[in-house]
Amino acid sequence: MTRALVLASQYRVVIILGLTLVISALVVPGYLSASTLSLGLDRAATIGLIAIGLTVLLIAGQIDLSGGAVFALAGIISVILQREIGILPAAIVGILVGTVAGAINGALVVGLKVNSLVLTLATMLIFRSLAHWITNSQPVTGTDIMLSLALAKIYLEIFTIRSALFIILIVLLHVWLTRSIPGRNVFAVGSNPAAAKESGIASDRIVFLGFVFAGMLAGLAGVLQSLVTNTGSPVFGSELTVAVIAAVVVGGTRLEGGRGSALGTLGGVLTIGSLTIAMEFQSIPAYVQQVVSGLILILLVVLDRVVTTKGRAPGTRPALVRDDPITQGGKV
Amino acid sequence: MTDAAMEISGLNRNDRFTRGSRLVDALSKTGLLLAILAVVAYGSFASPAFFTTGNLLNVLTSMSIVGIVVVGMTFVLVVGGLADLSVPATIACGAILSLGLQPLIGPVPAFVLAVALAGLIGLLNGVLVGYVGINPIIATLGVGTIGLGIVQAAVGGVIVYGSNTASAEFAKGRLLGIPVVVLIFLVIALIGHFVLSRSFWGRWTLATGGNYNAAEASAVPVKAVKAGAFVITALASGVSGGLLGLTLQSARPLIGSGYEFSAITAVVVGGVSIIGGFGSVPRAIAGLIFVQLLTNVMVLQGVRTPIQGFVLGILIVGAVGMDAALRKRGVV
Repeated sequence: MTRALVLASQYRVVIILGLTLVISALVVPGYLSASTLSLGLDRAATIGLIAIGLTVLLIAGQIDLSGGAVFALAGIISVILQREIGILPAAIVGILVGTVAGAINGALVVGLKVNSLVLTLATMLIFRSLAHWITNSQPVTGTDIMLSLALAKIYLEIFTIRSALFIILIVLLHVWLTRSIPGRNVFAVGSNPAAAKESGIASDRIVFLGFVFAGMLAGLAGVLQSLVTNTGSPVFGSELTVAVIAAVVVGGTRLEGGRGSALGTLGGVLTIGSLTIAMEFQSIPAYVQQVVSGLILILLVVLDRVVTTKGRAPGTRPALVRDDPITQGGKV
Repeated sequence: MTDAAMEISGLNRNDRFTRGSRLVDALSKTGLLLAILAVVAYGSFASPAFFTTGNLLNVLTSMSIVGIVVVGMTFVLVVGGLADLSVPATIACGAILSLGLQPLIGPVPAFVLAVALAGLIGLLNGVLVGYVGINPIIATLGVGTIGLGIVQAAVGGVIVYGSNTASAEFAKGRLLGIPVVVLIFLVIALIGHFVLSRSFWGRWTLATGGNYNAAEASAVPVKAVKAGAFVITALASGVSGGLLGLTLQSARPLIGSGYEFSAITAVVVGGVSIIGGFGSVPRAIAGLIFVQLLTNVMVLQGVRTPIQGFVLGILIVGAVGMDAALRKRGVV
C-alpha cells in the first residue's frame, strides 16, 4: 500500500514534469534546445539548492520560511566582504552566515519548543531586516565582473557550475536519505516524533541539524546568485518562498512530515524551473507567474490532503499539523 | 500520543484554572500596561516631539489601520489558526478596488464590493484551512500569492489613484476632533470584543482553539468556526485596505506588505496564545499600542526602518517563546 503510494507520488512528478515540458514545447518555439534547457536548469538550481534543505526539514516534520531572507543576507555578505578579504573567503563567509542563521532557527525551535512555521516567520523578518540594515536598502555590487561570466559558462552543452552542483547535491541527498541510518532517522522523526524518541533517536539533534543544513544551502544558493549577478540585494529571494515550497510539494514530499524523496524534489524543481522559463519566454508578467506557482502549491497540497486523510492511523498526526506545540525531545 | 498522555495534559489544563492563574493573569495584564507606561515615559523624556497632540494623533491614526487587521487576526490566533499571511493581498484588494472601481460604480459601492471580494479571499482561506485541513500558514501564503497576483493583473500592475474627493474628505476628516479612521477602528474593535467575549460565536472560537476534538464532540461546528476566523480577518483587512486607499488616495499592489507582521506581532505581544484557545481583543490591542508606541519612539529617535523590522521579529520570538514556556508550566 505504502509502496503503491510512493510509486504513485513518484509517477506524479514524472507526469507533471512531462506535461509541463510538452505544453511548453508546443507553446514556446525552440523550447527543447540545449541552450534553453541549460538556462532553465541554471534558473532552477537557485530554487533547487534551497529546496534540498527544505526537503530534509519537511521530511523531519519542520519547515523553514526564512530561506528567502537567508538567501539575500548570505549573498549580501559575500559581496560586501569581497573588497576586504577576497572573493573566495567572502563566499565562504557568506555560506557560514547562512549556516549560522540556520543554527539560530534550529536552536530556537528546539530550545523554545515552538512551532517552526511561526518561529521561522519571525526570523525571516529578522534576517530580512538585517539585510536591509546592512545595505541601507540599496543593492551592492562586487569587485570582479568577469567572475559572473565564468560562472555562467556552460559545460557539456547543458550544465553551469551552479546547476551541476545542484544535481550532484540532490543525488547525494537521495543516497543519504535512502541508504544511511541517519537518513532513515529523519523519516522516523518526521512521521512520529514521540515514537522516534522512544526508539532512541536523538530527534532534537536531527531537527537542529536539519535547520543548520537548510540554512547552509540557502546561504550557498544566495552566495552563488550574488556571484553570478555580481550583486547583492536585500530584496533578493522574497518571491522564492512560495516557489520553493511548491517545488518540494510537487515532488511528493508531504507538509505533514515523514514522507518525501530527494529525486521527487529534483522533479519538482525542474517542473517549476521549466515553467518559469516558459512563462518568461512568453513575456508573462511576474505577478501572473506568482499566481501560477501559488495555484500549483495549493492544488497539490489539497490533493495530498485528500489522499492522506484516509491512510493515517490515529495518534500519528505529525508535528506540523498537530494542534499542540512540537514536542520532540520534550515530555510527551 | 496515547490516551493516557492526553489525560495527563488534560489534568494540567484543569490545574491551571485553580492554581494561581488569577495572579498570573493579573500580572501578565499589568505587565503589558507597565511596559506601555515605560515607553510613554521614555518617549516623552527622550523626545520633545513625542507627547504632542499632533504626534499622538498620528500614532492613533496609523494604529487604527493596523488595528482593524489586529481585531481579525485575534480570531485567527484564538481559533488555533496560527496566522493569516494573506493580509497583504486582502489589504491590496480593498485599497486597489475601492479606488479603482470609483469611476465605474461610485465610491460607496466600490468600497463595499472591495471588502466583499477581500472576504472572498478569506472564504477560500477558510475552506482550505477549516474544511480541507491544510496548514493555515501554507494555505494563506499560497492564497495570498494568488490573490495579490490577480489583483495586480486586474489593474495591470500599476498604481491606482482616487478620483472621488468626497470620499477622500470623509476618510481624512474628523468627527468631534477625532479622526474618522480612529472612530471606525474603535467601532470594529468593540464589535470584535463583543463577539469574541460575549457571543456564542466567541465561545465556539475559544472552544475550538482550546481543544478541537472536545469542541467537535460538544457539537460546536468547528470547521465553520475555523473558516469563519479567516473570513473575519479578510473582511477586516479589506476595510483596513479600503480606508488606507481612501486616506492616501493612491494604492500600489504592495500597499499591504508588512501589515501581516505588524498585526501578528501586536497579537502575540498582547499575550494571545499562538497555539489557540486563549486571548481577547483588548489584550491584542494593548499589544498593538505597545508596539506602535515603541515604533513611534524609534522613529522619533531616528532609528532606521530595517531596525524596526528587526525589533518586531525579536518581539515575536520573545512573545512566542514566553507563551510556550508559560504553557509548559501549566499557566496561561
